[in-house]
Amino acid sequence: MSYEDWFRQDRLPHIYCAGCGNGTIINCTLEAIDEMDWKKEETVFVSGIGCSSRAPGYIVTDSLHTTHGRALPFATGIKMAKPGFHVVVFTGDGDLAAIGGNHFIHACRRNIDITVICMNNQIYGMTGGQGSPTTPVGALSTTTPFGSAEPAFDLCELAIAAGANYVARWTSYHVKELTKAVKVGMETPGLSFIEARVQCPTNYGRKNKFKQVLDQVEYLRSHSMLRQKYLQHEERGEPVPDATIVIGEFIKRGRPVMGLPR
Amino acid sequence: MKIEIDESRCKGCNLCIAGCPYKIFQAGKKANRKGILVPLLDRPERCTNCRLRHLYGRVLCGVCLMTCPDQAIRFREERPGETVKVAIEY
Amino acid sequence: MQGNIACAEGALAAGCNFFGGYPITPSTEVAEHMAIKLPKKNGTFIQMEDEIASMASIIGASWTGARAMTATSGPGFSLMMENIGYAVMTETPCVVVNIQRGGPSTGQPTMAAAGDMMQCRFGSHGDYSAIALCPSSVQEMYELTVKAFNLADRFRVPVFLMADEIIGHMRERIIIPDKVEHIPRRPLAPGVLPFHPEDDLVPGFPEFGKGFGVHVTGLTHDERGYPCATNPKLHEQLVMRLYNKIEHARKEIADYVVTNPDAETVFVTYGSPARSVEQVIHDAAGEKIGHLRLKMVWPFPEHAIAEFPNAARFIIPELNLGQVAREFDRHTRVPVIQVPKLGGDLHLPAELKKLAGVAA
Repeated sequence: MSYEDWFRQDRLPHIYCAGCGNGTIINCTLEAIDEMDWKKEETVFVSGIGCSSRAPGYIVTDSLHTTHGRALPFATGIKMAKPGFHVVVFTGDGDLAAIGGNHFIHACRRNIDITVICMNNQIYGMTGGQGSPTTPVGALSTTTPFGSAEPAFDLCELAIAAGANYVARWTSYHVKELTKAVKVGMETPGLSFIEARVQCPTNYGRKNKFKQVLDQVEYLRSHSMLRQKYLQHEERGEPVPDATIVIGEFIKRGRPVMGLPR
Repeated sequence: MKIEIDESRCKGCNLCIAGCPYKIFQAGKKANRKGILVPLLDRPERCTNCRLRHLYGRVLCGVCLMTCPDQAIRFREERPGETVKVAIEY
Repeated sequence: MQGNIACAEGALAAGCNFFGGYPITPSTEVAEHMAIKLPKKNGTFIQMEDEIASMASIIGASWTGARAMTATSGPGFSLMMENIGYAVMTETPCVVVNIQRGGPSTGQPTMAAAGDMMQCRFGSHGDYSAIALCPSSVQEMYELTVKAFNLADRFRVPVFLMADEIIGHMRERIIIPDKVEHIPRRPLAPGVLPFHPEDDLVPGFPEFGKGFGVHVTGLTHDERGYPCATNPKLHEQLVMRLYNKIEHARKEIADYVVTNPDAETVFVTYGSPARSVEQVIHDAAGEKIGHLRLKMVWPFPEHAIAEFPNAARFIIPELNLGQVAREFDRHTRVPVIQVPKLGGDLHLPAELKKLAGVAA
């Protein structure tokens, strides 16, 4: 088997724009699942609304494409009713951090045994490029035409504070590392949160001076800094450049878990 | 084993160009029937996975596969009788 | 036994094995009782972070084959509307208990009302049909909860149990049957598309984990379950089917009680006002006073009106400003007298007697 076998071949190609990173994240997730040897009938994909949330529709397993921001409570219901299922949630930054923020922190607090993969493109892609809670200060979007004035969420720190058992962040450039992180997340009991920073060439890139998709991917690559290195910088009191994307494994711990098979 | 780009799926985003350590993928120059510039393969016989996968018995590299957001790149076994180009490393 | 406890017991008897809830007066006792009882029966009780999440969790659980329910009151019911629409669109069986209280907004948490009768029918956006049951005693709280589960599984819809604070908090003696009716979900036949309807317009249920690989989406979907949101014809077909699967069964599933069908003065009630009317009929035993008591308000049983051929007037006491009376008025030429009442008190039998022209 390979990750290709997990796709609904009759639905491809998918609706994502050319150069969108979401497809990459789906590949990595399915590759990790393939390595996990999960059975298709025992795996359920859940998502909310948005670009990222269209992903389960392209996967052969049972999948639930739900209402905006509510993927996590739906997943909680599934996992609590059938703890034997493997539940994976695909979500986006607007879906998870804005409308679903409350559900997110509570799912982390419960530490329910699901894997949450957040495709963070820092913008609302499906509705045409509005600012989201993770849009960086100064970035342009259709609702922040003069640059976003609001500070952005750091989703990983939020997940750690709320109690998730495994937290990691990678970008769509780091496919191998991301695949590994998703796999470790799936192996870890409790809520695993993997934030994947992705490029959105159509809505984010076009407005923020990334003329080509590759420019944006290059930005993700060059602005990434491993967490270990970042902590060293912090220890030595050295300044870290602005807009640094801290990547790597943030935490792996063994808080009590809900939703394990009885 | 060889690399293949599925033209029916490729959207011409050129992300494969960034990933490949051998720079096998080159930006396409001629639009296909759908108006998409599908990347060209520059001496694909250099690909590590194509050369050594059977020797090692596992996927080597495969970054282009994972990166391609449109699932358009795949590795395919040569058909019997198909000519195979071999890259020789010195 | 208290009404809310009877509801929980009814649910357990009906095989409910998943409860996702959020505390809200006056429905909290349902959740509290389920929290004690469900774990002992190998079921799952989970207190969610809000009513939106409660509704979401029971839909998720329902797709794994669980008989799922939640209980709430007006403000929580408003929050659930989004996901109720989702349950309608995806044809997810579940039961929502609404112990109604005075509104709008926070209103009167500890007083009765029936102000959500229209909300349960039209609350979520888009066109759909709903099933709403209205108990008027603790015994019915038990029976109708069981019935709600069976209807939900048969039609694959969210079914509303619209009780009010009076019934929820009232204590009465009830008879618990040894065995209750159990209509199981019809599973999806092998080889059939997951949303292909059978003759009764209800598709078989493709439970998660059985290898159907079904994609469930709130978007307009075709029979494969794949989103297809820009096809006008498909959308019309889908919505008409969701509407008609209940509307076509309207006569068959209707549930009402008729008293004195040849009377000229007829009371029409649902929920707790029925109790005042029963007192009126009891007191005025010599006079012919009719009573149509609806146990199921939606889909509206308009054919029940014909059970009273001599009716000269219908009197409809309600704990709202005439939400169901207006619907009733649409279906009859006989004068309809609305008796709205707000504030949480029940209609006094004396007021009703005056309206009916009976000596107090």
